[in-house]
Amino acid sequence: MKNAKIKCLLHTLAHYIDVTICHIRMAFLMIVEYPSNIAGWMISNPIQFILGFATIKFVVEQFGQINGWTYGQLAFLYGLSVISHALSMIFFVQGWFMGFYVVEGEFDRYLTRPLGVMYQFFFTNINIFGVTDLIPGILVFLYGCVESNFTWSIAKVICILLMLIGATFIRGGLYLCLGTTSFFTKSTMDFGQYTQEIMDKTTLYPLSMYPESMQFLLTYLIPIGWVSFYPISGLLGIDSGQTYGLLASVITLLVGLIVLAVAGLWFNYGLNKYESAGN
Amino acid sequence: MENNKMIEVTDLSKDYHVVKKEAGLSGAIKGLFKSGKQTIKAVSHVDLSVDKGEIIAVIGPNGAGKSSLIKMMTGVLTPTGGQVLINGKDITKNRKEVVKNIGVVFGQRTQLNWDLRLGESFELLRHIYEIDRDEYEKNLEVMDEILGIKEIINKPVRQMSLGQRVKGDLVAAMLHSPEVLFLDEPTIGLDVNTKFALRKFIKEINRVNKTTIVLTTHDLGDIEELCERLIIINHGKIIEDCNLLDITDRIAPYKTLVVEYYDDENIPTHENSTLDKVEGNVARYRFMKNDITAAALIAELSNKKKMKDVAIEEVGIDEIIRIAYGQ
Repeated sequence: MKNAKIKCLLHTLAHYIDVTICHIRMAFLMIVEYPSNIAGWMISNPIQFILGFATIKFVVEQFGQINGWTYGQLAFLYGLSVISHALSMIFFVQGWFMGFYVVEGEFDRYLTRPLGVMYQFFFTNINIFGVTDLIPGILVFLYGCVESNFTWSIAKVICILLMLIGATFIRGGLYLCLGTTSFFTKSTMDFGQYTQEIMDKTTLYPLSMYPESMQFLLTYLIPIGWVSFYPISGLLGIDSGQTYGLLASVITLLVGLIVLAVAGLWFNYGLNKYESAGN
Repeated sequence: MENNKMIEVTDLSKDYHVVKKEAGLSGAIKGLFKSGKQTIKAVSHVDLSVDKGEIIAVIGPNGAGKSSLIKMMTGVLTPTGGQVLINGKDITKNRKEVVKNIGVVFGQRTQLNWDLRLGESFELLRHIYEIDRDEYEKNLEVMDEILGIKEIINKPVRQMSLGQRVKGDLVAAMLHSPEVLFLDEPTIGLDVNTKFALRKFIKEINRVNKTTIVLTTHDLGDIEELCERLIIINHGKIIEDCNLLDITDRIAPYKTLVVEYYDDENIPTHENSTLDKVEGNVARYRFMKNDITAAALIAELSNKKKMKDVAIEEVGIDEIIRIAYGQ
């Protein structure tokens, strides 16, 4: 009985992986179909983040430090934050366009197929263009590692991986939470730009530069602090007001799982209110 | 007998809540403070049962609740009340399991990937429904015979005509050999040849695979060609659930005999028919099928006055439906 259950679970997992590979293959085919799009993204995305980083460099050179963070450490934070942003763009960006899906009745198709609706929502149009955001992220991160004399260890590599997964989940969960409101409002409101602004302002720089009330809000209510500030403070050994050290990366992963789970429940509740598009 | 029931709908209802909006800016502002919520019963307490291998047509005027009904039957909409069983299983509670066994085509939208060749969409579905390659090839071969799908399988969907796209959608819905096929206005906007091919295909899969088919349509040709059973919906309720022949007998149990005489003098009448209309030398007699046969009527009338030509008109399905909607 238990064996059969495990077998069934493994089969389901293999099925989802198989379909995911199929989606990724189709995404590549679509890129080949419209090659000029790639050129545009390849140029505009990196420029956006490199310019952003150049701004930090200027500020730090003027003032020496931001809240005890050196230039190299800031690059480290900025780089990792852009990497988790890129990952969230690849897997979860559809959350930004939920309004469109709701109003146009796009969920009809997902609901009549024998796979999870949330899975299909995120993976049917998997955005492999998001990879273009990864490049500036990795470059700035590596630069930050050198500048801040970051010492590598296996534990730290694991921590970085865990925090990246957690951070991606937190971002994805927040996109989904905001997007799900479309089920109730039935408007095509696109939250993408606002989300991007808020995320950029709070994750690309140390959270400690904001007033305490703001920090409290962004730690416990909307856990954006865990996307980059707390786990990276732990990695770099900077005092963030929390004393978890490397463990902060594990907490990031847990927070990510919780945010995504809550978002999933909220999404499923919203889906019951889905009214399709009349014809 | 029990497991012969493919679809069982019991006491199914769907309410929509709409906010009543008043006109103009002042109305809009008023609406911010006082929301006049209104409940619209799109479908109300519908019972319906469909046997395995049946083809039924659900028809009704625009906004009658057809689409809402079909969308609840396919698991797209969550019912406000009641339940839908497909092959004995509740679609709301076991969506993922039940939808493996149904195929859906919404004529006005597509499940195909717009940017890629048709074959890529089929390939994705092959993976989603876990169809092995042999079965997939075999299914495609069968469907190719009627629809000529292989001619267009390498064409990007965005370059297809509407007819080709609907054919593609129909094949996509049948790749996994579902036991129930739902078609929401499948022939809308199609030319005569494509409609013919589509109807032939639908009849064929029904005959060969015993696929149960539920279709909504405004096309009376679809109904005459495909269905024996007709469900008429209005104001969210089933107002007729009957055999196509029965409803004709019940709503319009008469025929019209049109007689062309050589001249327009002394047009005769007959006690078992009513002289509906006379236009020059052409007279129209309406008679009940039970009162007199057409042959007898012609014979008796031609005794009274010499005829040049005769024709018998039956009430068309469109007229019948128009009368039914008006009830």
